[in-house]
Order: sequence, then structure tokens, then C-alpha cells
Amino acid sequence: MEVLARPDPGEAVARLAGVRHLYGATQALGGDAGGVDLDIPAGVMAGLIGPDGVGKSTLLALVAGVRRLQTGRVQVLGGDMADRRHRAASAARIAYMPQGLGRNLYPTLSVRENLEFFSRLFGQAPQERAHRIDRLLAATGLAPFPDRPAGKLSGGMKQKLGLCAALLHDPDLLILDEPTTGVDPLSRRQFWELIDTIRAERPGMSVLTATAYMEEADRFDWIAALDDGQVIATGTPDDLRARTGEATLEAAFVALLPPTRRARGGKVELRPRDHAGARIAIEAEGLTRRFGDFTAVDNVSFRIPEGEIFGFLGSNGCGKTTTMKMLTGLLDPSAGTTRLFGAPLGAADVEARLRIGYMSQNFSLYSELTVRQNLVLHARLYGVAPERRAARIAEVLEEFALAEVAGAMPDSLPLGLRQRLQLAVAMIHEPKVLILDEPTSGVDPIARDEFWVRLMSLSRDRGVTIFISTHFMNEAERCDRISLMHAGRVLEVGPPAEIVARRGAESLEAAFIDVLEAEGAGDAPHPQTPPQTPSETAPETAATAALIPQGPETRRRAGLPAGLRRLMAYSWRETLELTRDPIRLFFALVGPVVLLLAMGFGISFDVDRLSLAVNDLDRSAESRRLVDAFTAIRQFEQKPDLTGPADIDARMGLGGLTLALEIPDGFGRDLHRGDVPEISLWVDGAMPFRAETARGYALGVLEDFADKAATEEGLGTADPVTIETRYLFNQAFKSAHAMVPSVLMLILMLIPAIMSAVSVVREKETGTIANFRSAPVRRIEFLIGKQIPYLVLAWVAFWMLVGIGLWIFGVPLTGNLAALGLAALLYVTATTGFGQFVSSFTSSQVAAVFATAVVSVIPTVNFSGLIVPVSSLAPSGRALGQAFPGAWFQPVSVGTFVKGFGWSEAATGILALAGFAGAYLILSILALRKQEA
Amino acid sequence: MRSLKNILWLTGKELRAIRGDRVMLVLIAYVFTLAVWLVSDAASTEIDHLSVAVIDEDHSQLSARLIDAIQPPLFATPALLGPAEAEAAQRDGREVLVLAIPPDFERDLRAGHDAELMVLVDATAVAQAGNGATFLRQVLAQELARWRAPGADGTALVDVVFRNRFNPNLTSRWFSAVMQLMNNVTILMLILSGASLIREREHGTIEHVLVMPVRPHEIVFSKILASGAVILGASLLSLIVVVQGVMGVPVAGSVALYAAGAAIYVVAVASLGLLMASFTRNMGQFGLLVIPVMVIMILLSGGMTPLESMPEWLQWVLRAISPATHFVIFAQAVLYRGAGLALVWGEMAMMAAMAAVAVAIVLGRFRKILGG
Repeated sequence: MEVLARPDPGEAVARLAGVRHLYGATQALGGDAGGVDLDIPAGVMAGLIGPDGVGKSTLLALVAGVRRLQTGRVQVLGGDMADRRHRAASAARIAYMPQGLGRNLYPTLSVRENLEFFSRLFGQAPQERAHRIDRLLAATGLAPFPDRPAGKLSGGMKQKLGLCAALLHDPDLLILDEPTTGVDPLSRRQFWELIDTIRAERPGMSVLTATAYMEEADRFDWIAALDDGQVIATGTPDDLRARTGEATLEAAFVALLPPTRRARGGKVELRPRDHAGARIAIEAEGLTRRFGDFTAVDNVSFRIPEGEIFGFLGSNGCGKTTTMKMLTGLLDPSAGTTRLFGAPLGAADVEARLRIGYMSQNFSLYSELTVRQNLVLHARLYGVAPERRAARIAEVLEEFALAEVAGAMPDSLPLGLRQRLQLAVAMIHEPKVLILDEPTSGVDPIARDEFWVRLMSLSRDRGVTIFISTHFMNEAERCDRISLMHAGRVLEVGPPAEIVARRGAESLEAAFIDVLEAEGAGDAPHPQTPPQTPSETAPETAATAALIPQGPETRRRAGLPAGLRRLMAYSWRETLELTRDPIRLFFALVGPVVLLLAMGFGISFDVDRLSLAVNDLDRSAESRRLVDAFTAIRQFEQKPDLTGPADIDARMGLGGLTLALEIPDGFGRDLHRGDVPEISLWVDGAMPFRAETARGYALGVLEDFADKAATEEGLGTADPVTIETRYLFNQAFKSAHAMVPSVLMLILMLIPAIMSAVSVVREKETGTIANFRSAPVRRIEFLIGKQIPYLVLAWVAFWMLVGIGLWIFGVPLTGNLAALGLAALLYVTATTGFGQFVSSFTSSQVAAVFATAVVSVIPTVNFSGLIVPVSSLAPSGRALGQAFPGAWFQPVSVGTFVKGFGWSEAATGILALAGFAGAYLILSILALRKQEA
Repeated sequence: MRSLKNILWLTGKELRAIRGDRVMLVLIAYVFTLAVWLVSDAASTEIDHLSVAVIDEDHSQLSARLIDAIQPPLFATPALLGPAEAEAAQRDGREVLVLAIPPDFERDLRAGHDAELMVLVDATAVAQAGNGATFLRQVLAQELARWRAPGADGTALVDVVFRNRFNPNLTSRWFSAVMQLMNNVTILMLILSGASLIREREHGTIEHVLVMPVRPHEIVFSKILASGAVILGASLLSLIVVVQGVMGVPVAGSVALYAAGAAIYVVAVASLGLLMASFTRNMGQFGLLVIPVMVIMILLSGGMTPLESMPEWLQWVLRAISPATHFVIFAQAVLYRGAGLALVWGEMAMMAAMAAVAVAIVLGRFRKILGG
């Protein structure tokens, strides 16, 4: 391994030269001129500030090496990030925390398990692992909840856990992408204090971060201000303020912008509200909502007069969103009532909805529709009169400055614009009440101010009542009244200034933190936690526990090669995730059993009880004997006689009749005379297989009849030749004996493939793929590691199926079971590998499931020997069948069960299956990108 | 009226979503063109060039005559193998039938003794072994009869005239092409409708819609309508262009009546897809649930193997829960036998009833889906 020098303070930890980045045709970074040149100093806390969509995240991802460099040079920790070897060598020295609350965490894994996974990934020995995890948990205040699933933590706690995961391997460069966006003020403060503590302990560590909160940027040692993909200024916060002559960093930033971008919104003007004659717009009384035994909202009441801007503050997961959903009628309260302008609100109340505009926390408009199409759809659904519709849409486009992007897809717009679109949609029907759930989360200061100018105007000029939740204190200060919520309860209600005064605090933020700390809450992971002692939550604990237990030189290695350990880390985690989703586990084991039972009993070629109707025009003894010969065997079941030729069509028309026998007048007479009488048999040819079988049976009956008649009447001699038919491998000619081993092939193709098909793509959708991209783990380790649990599960299912075949269906086992076991193991390796291959190149779980099902079902059902032997297929079908592993496993499976296959007979199949397993793995490796495009 | 309009607007939105998904469009196109042709052309249960080997230990004129009688198109030209070779070939699945002619076969017959021919059948090839053996015996019996009474034009006591109604040559591609269409409709509809619900839930868009003056049934109907229209359109196009046009399968009955039944089937399957989506929380669970359902619907529809061969209890269960069984009966009756509405309305009503039950359950669960 390359020896890397630790950067000296003052030197650059990362150097960017001429860097440009495009997403499709959209310039994300670099602009038209020259690209980005930037030296980020080492050993300090460096920060990127700027509005959304200016390229902050792209820049961080390029430095972390998780995004592929398009143009320019990026040097990090003294090496070129375009060089794969340097990236691999430096991955262990860089920690990267992507944007989004808990985006790199595994929600179903507990706090400790999450950390354990990262520790295993970096190859720490068990003892060291426990030591490090304990220290980090103690230092971050997460120690009381090691067993809580990460998905159930509050936003602030998630970010702390993410930080722990990043710090576990003593990185030299810590990259944090907007780590505090969407986190409440108290948790935000604690987060930055934690960072300070860590830096005090490891002064050599460089931190590179981005933030949307300008007041936080004051903590940074060095700032790069970005706008429109370009760096517009660098320096210390004091430098920037001095250069612009502004008092706050926020103002300084706005001053640094080109004038065209600055003037857009104007200042938010606080205007007093006109109280005269205001009705009560929203009234909630004793609102309570329980989910199981967890109370999300506990007895919340408030009255909001018309035209008021009512702010709703509180930590993540405190019940704000649940309350808002009850106000919109999305959720029915467990107890309590909501009144809208005096009328009670029911969940199915369509009229009331026309008066409400709602904007949810996440972007929830249709990304497949353009901006204009979204507006049109909503105008229609809200019943805006057709003659007014066009005018109203034009009005809204104008008012929210969306006219320029009317034809664009929402996904291509920056967050600020998308939020504006959401508000425009919420306003399209001119509602009297607006309910806005964190509408400005992640939006930059300029866009936020613009947003508030609009809200003010709606409230003051049009009397719209606004119910808004936010994490920004400067926004809360603009509200007429605010309420502070925690753990499902409202703790404070009143005008912001009044609350500050009542708490004796110097700012609203301080008052807020005071309220939360008085509750002993701060770090509570979730409202349902029992009250804690202050010592568990106080940020001071950070100082008492050392965060960085050992230097890298004391790192011990476990006995296994590093690659194998990382592979096992992934297997361990995938197994845990699988056990946390019992429904998936249940389907994975019960699905095959149900399928085998249904197919084993259901697919049968034993054609029995074919319906037969007779039209006997002769009515002689001979004709009756012929009819008796037909009905004597169980394969034919006699139905009421035919009344005439027309009857055949009518009855066969609906499939009620398979065979019709017509015996002509004079049949008996002709027979006696030695003439050859002619009888007619009509067969329903709509299902050819059944028709052929019926015909075969009929011929057999006639042969028999002729034989007997000949002997008795002495009209001929009995046939001296007997043709004996011997059924090999399946003497009883039972469908089940042939079908069960074949159905095994079908089941072990489809279920394992669909199971593994979501494994990789799910990580892409939830964002945890970032860990794979930033950690020193190779593609082959990642893929095999994730494949193993599915493979084992499928193999277990295989043995269950074998057992059912032997004991329920009574299929004999004549061959070598070990050979079959090995073939099955290779087969499920191949089929799970196929699923993973699909998963590697698709980008959504829906597409992965769709593609896997459509691509695998057709060849497996039709061309793999399930119904028609592969040797009887047309060449095209045979080729298609043999391109999938099923056609190779089916002969081995059937052979081992009923044909007495041993190792030598199974060898071809086993080799072919091993080839498929290897090929799918190679294809997956090629399709999976270690870096994002 | 308002409700109807909402459904219409939402359907338009769903159609746009489908149009925007390239992967989906490619798969739909593949499934309704190439896959239909491939499957119905390549996989057939009819006896056609069935592989036969002969162990001839007699080497007489008669044995040669018998071997000559085994001819295409029913059988492949037989391979002459030794006993050991024949056994190996059958074990490996290369030969389905083996005819063994014992030593001194002709001499024994000429001497007036009885003689025995042996037909060995690989009984694991269930779809072809039984019928294949029957046909082989027939060919042999005829040839032996001609040999014993030369000049006689067949010695059968009774002459049988077989008339295959609706499909004179028993071509299985006629049948399998239409069944394949149904299978594709099943695969696509189940996933398309189910995924559309799960995707909206994961993206949070369904909440957004529910805040509007839109009722759950409008959302559900719009999803069924949009995906149903696309798949129904594609399958009818495939029936007319690929099955009737390119493959030359004659359609006896009314295409309009078939389209009406297919529409009901599509709605029933879409409702089933939504029903499963309402019971699962993510695509991983949905995928694992949809695969067994899909395979059972396809393989046990009566289109692959006869429904009446299944155990009585299973027939009842399938008729009660799987719209596919009713659709197979309906499609065969209309397309091959030219049946009219009077004959098939019962099957159509059953499919419609299944759709209604599934939709009712989905609507009943709609708010619960959001809450959980």
C-alpha cells in the first residue's frame, strides 16, 4: 500500500483545478468560464456556502471521490482522485457523510449495529470495535439507546449517529454535506459542539462541510462562497464581512452576489395584522393520535384566527407532521376534533378540502409532469372553473415567477424553485387556509426571503390563514404567533417576543433551547423515550469522553484478509436487514412451498374424465357394445346423448364437450356383413394437447373393440404381435414425479432472483450506496457479500422443497443427493446473481422487479423443460432456454430424482451452472459503478 | 360527474407517467411482439419430430419395414442404437422413445408364434411421452397389418373419421399464441398496477393527492383505467398484427366480444395487483408476493395444462380466486369456437365479480395504508 503523508496545517488538503461537471446538459459546476479552481486548506474547518443547486454537493462528492470526475483535476490528500489506486488507498482516510437526514444509515439496524457495520467494514478487531463504539456513543449522548433502530431516531440523533459512523475509522479528512439541514436548533448546536470537541482532540484532521444556515458558517475557519457553479469569494468569515461591510454573513453573502441575482425578492416586510372582525379559521381541540402504543400527538389544542401566520416549531419527530396531517384531514385523529371556520372536519370531507392548500415536507408533486402540467392537473382537480383555468394558471406562473420554467420537469429544477412550484400548486384554488410543512427546509436564504414576502402578502393582503412549521428561527420571528412542540405536546404558545420575554432569554433560539432543555429533552431520540436524567443528555458529556481512542498505528488486524472481512461485513448487515423484515423472510420461504404444492398438484398431464357424448343412429347391439367400450375406461366420462349434428357445435362451443361419437345407421349390419362401417369422431381441437390425447385413447378403444369382435365373430385372427409399452423412470406415469423436480427449477429461478433484484437498487434509492462508494470496499466484495444471505436462504428453501417432494408427493430419489445439492447451490448462486445483475444497472426498485420478472418468467416457464422437454423445442426456443441457468438445472434435478443420476451424469449441468454463476457476477461487477456519474 | 372528471384527469396523469418510463415501454413492446411469437412458435406440446431410437436385434426385412414406417413429421428419423447406447441416450434426455425389436422377430411370426415388440418411454417427458407412445404403437400396428395381409387396404373392422373441430390440424401454436397473450397481460398488469401504488406511496405523492378534493376510489379507478388501457391496447394490437397477421392464426369469433372480455380480465388483474400492493410495504415484499401469484395464475389457468386434469378441490379454489381460469375458457370459446355472448356471459360475470371484490378491499384499506 502506498504510504501517504499527513498534510501539514496550512497546506491544502484538496486542490481543484479547472473542474467542471455536467448533469446531462445542465452545468452543475464550473460554469462557462474555465471551471472551478480552489485550494481547500488542511487542518481547519472549511465550509462551502451558497444557495441550492450552485454545485456545493457536487464539489464535495468530487473531493470525496464518490462522483466521477468529468473535466479538470482534483487532488486530495496529496494524490490525484482520477487515479483509481489513489482513491482506493485514500478511501480509508476520508469520511463522507452525504446530504439528507440519516441518508447513509440503515434504518432497520440499531444504533450499535450501524456502527458495528462500519467498524467491520474498516476491519477493526472485535475488542477495538467495542471500545471505539462505546466511546463514540458516550461522547455523542447516544449511549442510552444502543438498541434503537436508526430509522426511529430524531433528525438530530440521526446526524450524530452518521457522524459517529464517519469518525469510527479516524479519518484525516471529514466531509459533511449539509449535516444540519432540517435539524432543530438545539440538536444543531450540539452537533457543532461535537465537531469542535473532535477537532480539539485531533487537530490534524481537516473538515470540509457545506451548510444552508449562514449563522453556522460563522463557526468555520475558512469559507468558500459559491454561486451558479462558480466560487465567488474565499476567506475567513471576518474577511468576507469586512470586504462587504455587512454585519452578518448572510448579508455579506447577498452583497457578494451579482446584482441581477440579488434584487429578486426584496426584504421581508413585517406588517401588523388587521384584527378587526377576524373569525376563527382553524380550531383544534384535544387532538390526539396514537400509532399502536406510541402516542405521536398528545392532546393538542389551539385556535388560529383568520389571516394569522401561525408558526409551528419543534424537533424532528415531535409530532408536527402528524398534527398537520390531521388538520388537512389526511389522518383521522384518535381523539379530539378539528374545526375549519366553525365546521368540523372529517376525513372524507371534500368540500372542506377546497378551502385548504397543503404543502408537504418532501417534494410530492408529479415528477413525470412538467411545471405547467402539474398546475393544470391541480387546477382541474380543485375544480377551478374551466373558463377561469387558463387565466388562473397564467396568474400563478406570473406571481410565483415560474413562467420561464413552465415547460421544465420538476426534477431538473433547484430545490428553491421546486418549493415555489409546490406553493404555487397549493395556492392554485385560492384557498383560505394554507398548511405548510417545513416548506423552506434546505432552501437558501434568498429563496427563503422571497418565499416569505409571498406569505406576508397572502396573509396581510388576502387574509389567508397560514399554518407553517419551520426550523429557522428568523422565520419563526416573522410569525404572528408560534407554538413549541415536543414529544407530541405543545409546550409554549404565543407571539415570539412574548415567549422570549417569558423565558428571559436573549433570543428566540435561546428561548427554544431553554424550553427543550427544561423538558430534559434535547437529545431524546423519539418522543416515546421515558424521561431521562440530565446527565444523559447534556452536551457536556462530550468533553468527558475521548472521541478518538487510538492512533492508526495501534490498529490491530483480525486474522482474515481484509477483502474477506469486508465481504463478511456486508453479508452480516444484509442478513440483519433481512431478519428485520420478517414479511420478506416469510414470503421468501413460504412462497416456494405454496408454489410447489400448487404446481405439484395442479400441473398434470394425466388427462382423465374427458367428456364424451354419443349420437347412436344405429341402436343395434353392436353399436351399444362400441359405446360401452368407450365408457368402460375411466378416461371417458359419458354425457347426455347428442340430439343431432347441430348439438355438437353448441355443446363444444362452450368447452362442455371434448369428444363426440357418431355411429351411423346400419353399423351393426355392415359389421356382420364384413363391410367396413364408418364412424365419426369429433374432437374439440381448441386445446391441441387434450385433443391429441383424446384421439389416442379413442384409437386404443377401437383397437381393443376390433380385436375382441374379431376373435368372437371369427371374422379374423387375433393379432399375434403384442406391443408392450414400458414407462421408464416413472413407471406409474405420474405427472407429479416428473413435475416436482421441474417445478423446483422454476421456483429456484424466480424467487431468489426477485429477492436479490432489489438488494443493490434499494441502496441506490435510499442513499446508503454512498457508503459503498466512499468506503475502501471493492465491487466484488460488495456484491458477493450481499449475495450470500439470499443464496443461503434460497438453498434452505431448496432442501425444504426436496423434503416436500419426497414426503408429500412421494417422488422417489434414485440418484446422488450430494450431487443434486451442489448443483442446487450453484443454481441458486446463478439465479441470485441474475437478480443482482439486473439490480446493478437499474435505477429504481420498480424497474428492477419489473425487468427481472418479465425477463426471467418467459424463458423459465416455456423454454427450460418445465412443460416441453428442451430436446423437442424449436431451435430458437432451445437457444433462448439454454441462455438461462434453468434449462441446465432441470435435467440434473429430474435426473437425480427419477433417473438415478450420479456425479458423472450431473457433471455437465454442474459445470454449466458454475459458469452461469461466474458470468452473472462478472456482469454485475461491470454494470455496477463505484463512482456516481 | 365531478368524480368522473377527476378520474379522467388522474388517468391522463397516469398515462403520462407510463409514457415517460422507457424501460417499461421497451418491455411491453418486447413482450407483445417477439415473446408472443417466440413462445408460441418454439414451445409446443404437439407430437412433432419426436425423437425415437430403435434397437434392432432382428435385422430382418420386417424389422427394416417397421423402422421405415417411423417417419417425419410425427417422428424424427429414428437412430439405430445398441441397447446400452439407447439406455444412455434416454437417460440424458436425447431420445424420448425407444423401440426394441427382439431377435428372430420375423421368423417367429412366420412360424405362427407370438412375438413381442417393446416400446420404452421416457416418462419424465409427460407432455409428449404418452401421446407419442400411442402414436408409435399405431404406426407399428398398421405396418404389421399391411405386412400380414398385403394388398388389403387396411384391415380395421371399423373405419374412423376424425374431425377436429375448431383447429383441424391440431396446431398448437394457434392455441399457445393466444394463451401467451393472456400470460403477458397477467405479468404486466400485476406489476404495473401494483407498482404504481407502491411508487406513489414511497414518493409521498399519494398523500398529496388525498389532501385534494379527490376520493380514494377516483385514484384507484384512474390507475386501473390507465394501465389497463395501455395493456389492453397493446394486447389487441398484438392479437391483430402479430397473431392474426404475422403468424396467420385464424380467429373464428368476434374480435369485439373478445376485446370486451379481455377488458374485464385486464381490470380484474389490475385490481388484484393493487390488492397485493395494499398488503405490502415495499417493492421487495411486493416482488416476492407477486411472483408466486403470477406463476400460479399462468401455469394453472387451464391454458398450459387442462383444468379438468387438476384435483377437484384445486379446480374449485382456482375458479374462485383466479380470473385467469375464466379468461381461458372465455378466450377459447370466443376465438376458436366462435361462441357468442350468450355462451360466455357467465365467465365474464365471474371476472367482473372478482375485480369488484378486489377493488372493494383495496378501497377499504386505503386509509389504513396511509396510516401504517
